Amino acid sequence: MSPRLLWSIASVEARKRMSYRLDFWIHALVGLSVQLGVAYLITLALYRESGASSIAGFTLREMMAYYVLVVVIARVVTATEMDHSVSQDIYEGALSRYLLYPTSYPAVKYAQQIGAMAPALVQCVIFIAWMPFVLGVPAGISAGGIAMGAASVVVASLLQFMMILPIQAVSFWADNVWSLMVAYRIVSRILGGMMIPLALFPGWLRDALPWSPFPYLFAMPVDAVLGRVSALQWAQGTGIALAWCAALAVVTAVVWRRGDLQYTGVGQ
Amino acid sequence: MIEAEHLSKTFTVHKKDPGLLGSIRSLFRRERIDKHAVRDVSFRVDEGEIVGLVGANGAGKTTLVKMLAGIIHPTSGDAKVLGFRPWERSNELRRQIALIMGQKAQLWWDLPAEDCFLLLKEIYRIPDDRYRANLDYLAKVLELKDQLNIQIRRLSLGERMKMELIAALLHGPRVVYLDEPTIGLDLTAQRAIRDFILRYREEHHPAMILTSHYMEDIERLCKRIIIIREGEIVFDGGLQQVVEKYADHKVVTAHLHKNGQAPPQAADVAPLGQVDTCNDLMIKLRVPRGRVAEAAAELLKRYPVADLAIEEVDVGTIIESIQRAKASLT
Repeated sequence: MSPRLLWSIASVEARKRMSYRLDFWIHALVGLSVQLGVAYLITLALYRESGASSIAGFTLREMMAYYVLVVVIARVVTATEMDHSVSQDIYEGALSRYLLYPTSYPAVKYAQQIGAMAPALVQCVIFIAWMPFVLGVPAGISAGGIAMGAASVVVASLLQFMMILPIQAVSFWADNVWSLMVAYRIVSRILGGMMIPLALFPGWLRDALPWSPFPYLFAMPVDAVLGRVSALQWAQGTGIALAWCAALAVVTAVVWRRGDLQYTGVGQ
Repeated sequence: MIEAEHLSKTFTVHKKDPGLLGSIRSLFRRERIDKHAVRDVSFRVDEGEIVGLVGANGAGKTTLVKMLAGIIHPTSGDAKVLGFRPWERSNELRRQIALIMGQKAQLWWDLPAEDCFLLLKEIYRIPDDRYRANLDYLAKVLELKDQLNIQIRRLSLGERMKMELIAALLHGPRVVYLDEPTIGLDLTAQRAIRDFILRYREEHHPAMILTSHYMEDIERLCKRIIIIREGEIVFDGGLQQVVEKYADHKVVTAHLHKNGQAPPQAADVAPLGQVDTCNDLMIKLRVPRGRVAEAAAELLKRYPVADLAIEEVDVGTIIESIQRAKASLT
C-alpha cells in the first residue's frame, strides 16, 4: 500500500470518528474519567491501608502517574479493539467490497486503525496536559524517555493489530468471536500491565512475561516515559515486540488463506 | 472477456433442529449438509455485451457473480476474466472490474459522496485528470452534481444507488457485474438507472452481467439471457429465442361487441386453443403457433368481434415458468 493511500484511508477514518461530537466528548470525558477515578481511589486506599510509602518501587505519586499514562496510552493502542470490525466484515459479508479493491485488506484495516487513533490522541493530550499540575512531574521523566515511549506506542499499536487480526479471522469458521475478543481483552490488560504494574506480579511471571507480547502493549510505553527502563532494555523489548509482529503476520497469513476458502460473502 | 468453464460451488451449512432441545443438541453435535449453489456452469461473455442472469431466489445467480468477481473461490471448475483467474485477485484485474450490489451499500455511510470517490481514486490510482473527467461525466449523466457533498446516509435510495454506480465506474472498468441494481427503487429511478446503463454500454463497451428480478430490466438491457435454476444453466441464448423455444403458442384475444346475443361458450371455442377467458366481453385463447390464422378467422366468423389482438406470450411469464419447472428443459 502506498503511503498516500494509507494516509487517505487513515484521514477518512479520523474524520469519520470525529464527526460525531457528542460521542467523542462522552467517550473522552466519561470513559477516561471513570477509568482514572477508579484507579485513583483504589491506589489511594491501597497506600493508606498498607501504610507503605512505596510499593514495588512505586511511590503514591509514581503509581498515580503510571495509571494516568497507562489509561491514556491504552486508549490510543486499543483505538479500534472494540469495533471488532474485521470479524464483522467477515460475518456481515462487508469483506466482499474490500476484496474487490486492488489493495491489501489487512493494510486497509491497519490504516483505519491509525485513523482511529487520531481522536484517541486528542483525548490523551487533553488528559495528560493536566498531569504535571496535579501530580507534578515524575522524577524519571526525560525527553529521551518520552521519545522511547512514543516509539513504543507505535510498535504497540502494530502489535495490538497483529494480535487481533488472527483472532477476528476465526469468524471465517465461527461467525461470532465476541467471547474470544473479550477473553483477549481481559488477558492482554492483565498481562500487559494495565490493571496493575507488572512489578507487582510474582517473580516467575515477571521473568516469563518479557518473552510474551503482552508487556509491550501497555507497560513498556509507560515504563519508557517514566524512565523505568534503560535504553538497552527498551531496545531488547522493542525487538521482541517486532519479532512477535512478524510471527503473528505469518500466523495471520496462514489463517487468512484457509479462512478465505470458507468465505461465502453472505450477510446483511 | 468473461469465460466460465464447469464452474461449481458447494457450501457446507449447519442444520439445527428447531426449539430449545435442538439448540442444546447443536452445542454438542451439528449436522452438516452440502448445498450446491452453482453446478457445472459454462458460458462466455464478450466485450460490449450485457447478459442477463435470471433465476429465482437461491438459484445461484449471486454466487456465480461473486465467483466471477473473485470474492469467493469455486469448489471446482475454472473461470477467466480478462485473462485472469478472478479469485487469485490480481490487482491488475481488480483495477478493471466492478461489482454493484443493489442490496449492499459499498460506500462509506458517514462520508459525503465526493470524499468516498476521492478515496476510491487513491485505491484505484486514478490519475487526477481522468478522475475529474470521469466524475464530471458520471455526475452529469446521472444528474447528481448537486448531491456530491452530501453524506451518503442522507441521500434517497435512488440517489444512493446512482452514487454506487459512480463509485463502481469511476475507474473505467472493462467488466461490470450488476447484481440487482434497481431493487427497491421507484419506477422513475429504475428507468433512470436502465437508461444510464444502456448509455454507458454504448459509450464504453464493457462486458456486463446483470442479475435482476425485474423483467423490465432484462427486457430493456439484455439481448441475451442465461436462466439459472438450482445452480444449473437451463437456457443460454437470445431473449427472442426463449419465446420461440418455450412458448409454442400465441395469445389470441378477441374483444366482443355487446349486442344482446347469448355469451360464447367455452366448450365451443375450446377446439381452437386453450381457453384463458370466455365471457360476453372477451375471448382469450392460447393457440398453437401453426393454427393462429385459422383460430383468428374462426373467431371473426362466429362472434361479433370489435377488436382482435395476436400477441407473443410475455417473456417474464415464460421465464417464470422455466424457473418453476421441475424437469430439465435443456
